Amino acid sequence: MDNEVYSFALKNALNEVRNLCPDITDAFIFNKDGEIIAGDEKVSERTVARVVNAFDSMTEKADAIGDIEGIFLEGAEGRMNIHGMNGVYLLIVTSRNADMNYVNTVTRVVIPTVLKVLEKINPAPPANNPSPTRLQSKSKASLADELEEPEQETEEETMTEEPEETEKPEAAAEMPLKETPVNQLIVENLGGLLVPSDTVRIDNEILSQWEELYEDKKIEEVEIETIDGKTVRCKARPIKDSKYEGKGVIQMPEKIQFTLEIKKGELVRARPVIENDGGSA
Amino acid sequence: MVKKKRSFQEVTATPEPAVLEQALAGNGLRAALEEAKTHEGVIGYILRDSTSAAIDLRDPARIIDYAILSSSVLDAGKELSELFNIGEVKNILLEGKEAKVLSMMIGENRVSVFMEKNTDCEKLLRKLNSAVE
Repeated sequence: MDNEVYSFALKNALNEVRNLCPDITDAFIFNKDGEIIAGDEKVSERTVARVVNAFDSMTEKADAIGDIEGIFLEGAEGRMNIHGMNGVYLLIVTSRNADMNYVNTVTRVVIPTVLKVLEKINPAPPANNPSPTRLQSKSKASLADELEEPEQETEEETMTEEPEETEKPEAAAEMPLKETPVNQLIVENLGGLLVPSDTVRIDNEILSQWEELYEDKKIEEVEIETIDGKTVRCKARPIKDSKYEGKGVIQMPEKIQFTLEIKKGELVRARPVIENDGGSA
Repeated sequence: MVKKKRSFQEVTATPEPAVLEQALAGNGLRAALEEAKTHEGVIGYILRDSTSAAIDLRDPARIIDYAILSSSVLDAGKELSELFNIGEVKNILLEGKEAKVLSMMIGENRVSVFMEKNTDCEKLLRKLNSAVE
């Protein structure tokens, strides 16, 4: 699982928390490096930088009380809380009249639960997981090589840590071991007069990787699954527009977006459908 | 350690009612802090105004650590309240793994009360607030 999925799950959890607690005016999750893991789009990087600066100024001087677990600020017109949990920090700003017992109960149950689930799926938290695709970038072929020559593992791991490897688009590099390859892709609109409504466009590199995995069988169809679990099977063709190449994007006609109840910018999972198997691989 | 003593006579000699009110509030606060110091789990306090400071801590060797933390908490709290438009800071509670600090700005007075982790700070906060009301 990559950081985008991690963020997506946490963002959904935050949205649910905000639905339950309308008195929350701002909410986001950040790590010690000052990166937003999940939050509102309206929260600017500058705001986060200022929060992290203020937070750091306290943590640096907090030896007398031990590592900081939480900050609770009460102002004349509202409240701001920062809770530390599983190596990340949840910041919540509420109006003056918010029922803090209720807000705290909801946030301290929902967010840690989601974090725990995510941690179980992928043990490395986002703060310690700068290149989450590292383990996923191995193809079946390289796995076979590893089984024959275990010494190559060290070499491959070293190689994946090189900058040019980390610059590779995450989705393009993903390839789960032994199982059906599933790629996380970002939805982009696909429009035009001659665009078939049942066909998505996927990065050619991903299609090539899939074809390589299935002994050069041509990938004609893919199964797309949303985070909510909605799936659709449709035709797949390589992306034509060079500006989307290598960016982990799936171009999707409006009709398919409507069927899946998603829109541009959201994440989906895509896996190849192999004709001979009569279903997704 | 510098402690400024204010006698009631000094205060009554001041003609401005606002100053008088503040001084009385300061006296009440000081008394409330002295009482708070006797509560179980309270490590000590730092009370500062624009000209003086009163520090009473269980472990004098850590006075500087506590003073720096107190100042940082109040400054950071002000910064955060401005950032999120939540108005004038009433109080900030910073919870650490071993202890916690409750900081407040009351007029010109900047107060920080240090306590053990499981101490009931709500009760303490109520007492301090009622002392200056």
